[in-house]
Amino acid sequence: MPAAIRNLRNNPHFLFARLPNLLSFICVVVGVVWLLLLPLNEYSRQTYISENALLPGQVHAYFTGSEQNIFRGYKRELEGLLNDGQARGGQKDEAEVTAAVSDKLQSILQAAGLKVATQKYEYTSAGITHQGENTYAIIHAPRGDATEAIVLVAPWITADDKLNLNGVTLALTLARYFKRWSLWSKDIIFLITPDSKSGTQAWIDAYHDMHPASVQPLPLKSGALQGALVIEYPLDHRFQSLHIVYDGVNGQLPNLDLFNTAVAIAGGQMGIGANLQEMWGHDDSYEHRLQTMFRGMTKQGLGYATGAHSSFMPYHIDAITLQTKGEGWEDEMALGRTIESLCRSLNNLLEHLHQSFFFYLLMQSNRFVSIGTYLPSAMLIAGNFTIMAIALWMRTGYYPESKPSAKPMNEKGSAEEKAKTDGIAERHLALPLSLVVGLHLLGLVPLWVFNNIFHQYFTTTTYIFVVVDIILPLFLAAILSNGLGLSNPIIPQQYHLIKSFSLLLLGLSLSTLATLNFSLSFMIGLLCAPLSFVARLQGSAPFRLATSSLGLVLLNLVSPPTVLLGVCWYMGISVETVLTQAAFGWDIWGMWTQVVVWCVWWPAWLIGCVLLWSSMF
Amino acid sequence: MTVLSLFSLPFVALILSLWSSSAFASSDYHEHLLLHPLPQSSLLASFNFRSNTSQQSFDQQHFRYLPRALGQILQHAHTKELHLRFTTGIWDAESWGSRPWNGSKEGGTGVELWAWIDAPDDEAAFAKWVTLTQSLSGLFCASLNFVDSTRTTRPVVSFEPAGDHSAADQLHLLHGTLPGEVVCTENLTPFLKLLPCKGKAGISSLFDGHKLFDAAWQSMSVDIQPVCSANGECVVQIEQTVDMVLDIDRSKRSRYLANPIPRPVPNEQLVCDTSKPYNSDDTCYPLEKTNDKAWSLTEIFGRSLNGVCPLTELDGSSDQSVCLRVPHERGVFISEEAEEIKKDDGFTRCFKLAPSVPFDLSIPQQPVNTEVPLDEPVLHAERTIVGHGQERGGMRIIFGNPSNTSAVDFIYFESLPWFLRPYIHTLHATITGHDGVPREVPASEIVKETYYRPAIDRERGTQLELALFVPAASTVTLTYDFEKAILRYTEYPPDANRGFNVAPAVIRILDTAHDAPIYIRSTSLLLQLPTPDFSMPYNVIILTSTVIALAFGTIFNILVRRIVTLDEAAALGAQTLKGRLLGKFVAIRDRLRGKDTKVE
Repeated sequence: MPAAIRNLRNNPHFLFARLPNLLSFICVVVGVVWLLLLPLNEYSRQTYISENALLPGQVHAYFTGSEQNIFRGYKRELEGLLNDGQARGGQKDEAEVTAAVSDKLQSILQAAGLKVATQKYEYTSAGITHQGENTYAIIHAPRGDATEAIVLVAPWITADDKLNLNGVTLALTLARYFKRWSLWSKDIIFLITPDSKSGTQAWIDAYHDMHPASVQPLPLKSGALQGALVIEYPLDHRFQSLHIVYDGVNGQLPNLDLFNTAVAIAGGQMGIGANLQEMWGHDDSYEHRLQTMFRGMTKQGLGYATGAHSSFMPYHIDAITLQTKGEGWEDEMALGRTIESLCRSLNNLLEHLHQSFFFYLLMQSNRFVSIGTYLPSAMLIAGNFTIMAIALWMRTGYYPESKPSAKPMNEKGSAEEKAKTDGIAERHLALPLSLVVGLHLLGLVPLWVFNNIFHQYFTTTTYIFVVVDIILPLFLAAILSNGLGLSNPIIPQQYHLIKSFSLLLLGLSLSTLATLNFSLSFMIGLLCAPLSFVARLQGSAPFRLATSSLGLVLLNLVSPPTVLLGVCWYMGISVETVLTQAAFGWDIWGMWTQVVVWCVWWPAWLIGCVLLWSSMF
Repeated sequence: MTVLSLFSLPFVALILSLWSSSAFASSDYHEHLLLHPLPQSSLLASFNFRSNTSQQSFDQQHFRYLPRALGQILQHAHTKELHLRFTTGIWDAESWGSRPWNGSKEGGTGVELWAWIDAPDDEAAFAKWVTLTQSLSGLFCASLNFVDSTRTTRPVVSFEPAGDHSAADQLHLLHGTLPGEVVCTENLTPFLKLLPCKGKAGISSLFDGHKLFDAAWQSMSVDIQPVCSANGECVVQIEQTVDMVLDIDRSKRSRYLANPIPRPVPNEQLVCDTSKPYNSDDTCYPLEKTNDKAWSLTEIFGRSLNGVCPLTELDGSSDQSVCLRVPHERGVFISEEAEEIKKDDGFTRCFKLAPSVPFDLSIPQQPVNTEVPLDEPVLHAERTIVGHGQERGGMRIIFGNPSNTSAVDFIYFESLPWFLRPYIHTLHATITGHDGVPREVPASEIVKETYYRPAIDRERGTQLELALFVPAASTVTLTYDFEKAILRYTEYPPDANRGFNVAPAVIRILDTAHDAPIYIRSTSLLLQLPTPDFSMPYNVIILTSTVIALAFGTIFNILVRRIVTLDEAAALGAQTLKGRLLGKFVAIRDRLRGKDTKVE
């Protein structure tokens, strides 16, 4: 062993130039393999209910019988109002129909003995105005004093843009039914929103008094919210299984206990299957588990709201959406009983949900990995950048660069010779530091542009940015190499320092991000992984030209705008839709994905390109 | 709301008329029950029990109606006036109008206690207060002993003594609340035992813990105060009240013990709107029943009224111990022996009960055109915690004045736990007038006076009293920011993640034209504090401690203990350093005591 270390010390080129590359590469490979191992039985765990108070499925659900007649009555009533609007047709009547429906909702809830209120809101994002009116009603806990509450949400339009008539009707019927029970220890709030995207956000913001001026404050309030359930039943027929959606904004997740309770009640008590991440035929194989996990990670990484429940998460309120899927023989009453049983479980809670995990990856409705198991994967990938950055820093200080090329320049040769003997070189920090900081600040420009221009310009702007991504590094590389007569030409050490600082920042940001949003950190880390290995090339001019051109082409394929275009093309969605959604997320949901893309990924990528371009000069 | 309508408050008027007739008798007992159906199928039952003892017999510990247990506690703690409240639920002012007794007989959620204590200085008063809370805690089975210095305040303007006190007393007002206390049957039993008839006869025979605590809102109160007549004759008066709002449907349902569960009704019992075109056997748009539901005392309370308490003074109006507020046109069936007396106001009727004969009262379902007018509350108040996160938060209090003509002056009193640290400089006021446009105004424009006593960590809470007013037909919103303190590890309760209760605010409406002040209490709040993840440390600490205790204990035992015979032990003991030192010590001690040294 000491001999190996001595050998290493005697071979500085291996120690400073080869070894870091090797280590970084191993880190990336191990990180990816680690993630691929997670679905195995040895690394994932069976889910379990951690909070004993929940007692899922231990109560009998009584929501049956004549309640169905009332469900049908309410449904026909609402249907009549909606069809009335359709029959008359035209845009002009839409507001009228909305008002009529809202009045009907209020009168039904009032007749059932609830306290009813409404809230108007209006948001503008990317030049599109989103407005609507929330209707909500509160059942006061019969003996309670309004300190705690549960929320039941029924959006008129589901997350998949379908009319949720059955869901809204079910909420109304449940409101009337729940009012009769005297066992509620928490208030129950029924919230009916016009859509799944902005309605709940406006409501929950106003509930915590954090709303913008365009959103009305809430005239009626209850206590601290302990949990929220969203009902989506957009089908005209009986359903087969329940799809549980749990992802929140910025990859925040509800407490695993809530998800487990829903699965336990749906599967165990009601006999309805529970799916997640749109995996309909999950056979519990390795491939399906991996696919489920990847789908979850994609949603988490992109950080958008996957349903009306997502807006609750930033306020530390656990929420899930129950969607009905497939054609089967479960009817609305079965869904109603599931919700009744879930409410009874939440009603049992003495404390805020805190027992179980908040950081997890689900791979089947009853299998998960917790943060301790999966975190090393993203950390290793983030660590590869840090290793490289530290190695480069040491190399610039101790290991003199480019022995062969130094020979011809005699006046510099002596100095370098000297540096080599005592093994210390002075670092020129000013240029690398200002370049790295400057480029990171430059990231604010696309961030601002993509969140503030009108939606019709999004596609054009993306293509402009593809071009900018080619020209800007070329321009920077030219300035750096020639100095444009303003300053001394850059020396090789400074290229290493630029890369070192850039990777250091990248490693730091990604490892911090991994604890907050594992998936985003992992995805960006993978896309940035080539940056560890690109550097200014040396050697003969044809070799440099050929290699760097190839490198540039490849690198441009993983630039932020190209990745966006590529993914959109693959998924068959228009770029405009994605960017409109992103701008909406930034303006209304408080989504941070763009910041990571434009202020972490993009600057690091630019610097990688600059280094490659500079090989050409 | 005008002053005149205030006077017309039925509860006050009734009680005042009762009181004036016989309040100054040296020793007497009265009980009274008012039943008042409220909108949304609710029924307010307001019980009142009042008795007197002359000051003289009280001082000589000659108790008759005043319970000895309570009287002795008062004497021991030098308490001259005592108010104790047990409350659960919320009074729905929007549907039910103004509060019974103008809110003066109710407390905030949980337990509230305030008393005037005769003591030379503050420390002595607090010592007496601790005595009082400890004793009451035992008497009422409530956690009143947890009213420590952090939960005790000394309000300056929010409360005034209701009794007539002699000028010689140095009275100190102390006030404590337990917002998290769950009021239940164990508090009712001692409460009933204080009554002369102890729940066996009279209106108190209606009390059933299951019904009382199934109420949407209920409040029990005990008030003890000296009352002096104009000629200087003083009596000690104890007044106990129980007010509850029962849900008629729910109370009637749980009478059938076989079916207390609100199962869906059979299809044929559904009340449907038959005018709807789609109405059929399997489709029903429900028609909700109106207010005039049928009910009877036995159905609602689960038992009948057991005659009258024989100790009641039977004179004049006070023998009409049960009153009912429904329009006169409505038919009421009563037990045969009882006598019905209709009052002139058109809505009240009282019943003269026959002694020791069970009394029942039943109201059939009947369409009624007139409704009993409800008084509109003078002020609406709502207090909520806003903001999110574990570090900071904000308090928002909204006061609404429904009157179009007159402003409302009131005192807003808040006692905050020490771990909620308010920033008083962030106190902002917003007025929303007729036009509905919020206007930011300096807080000083609304707040006329401020009494503020800042908190000391772990010693006392914040006390904030604001004298403010709300202009006519306006809404005033007060907001301030606060910081959440981080508690010590051991200071968290077992259910730390539930949050911490913040006591309700007390609002005292000043009405110069009216003697009795009006009180309103806000709901209690739940404050989420930064809470460590207890599960991990708990598991680690408990597990490692157990393992170490077991392993270390056993191994240490084996290593250190040597098993020897008794003789060997003595010999060994003499040889060791400790043994020799002990021997020397014994020798010196014996020498000092003048004994001969024992030489072996």
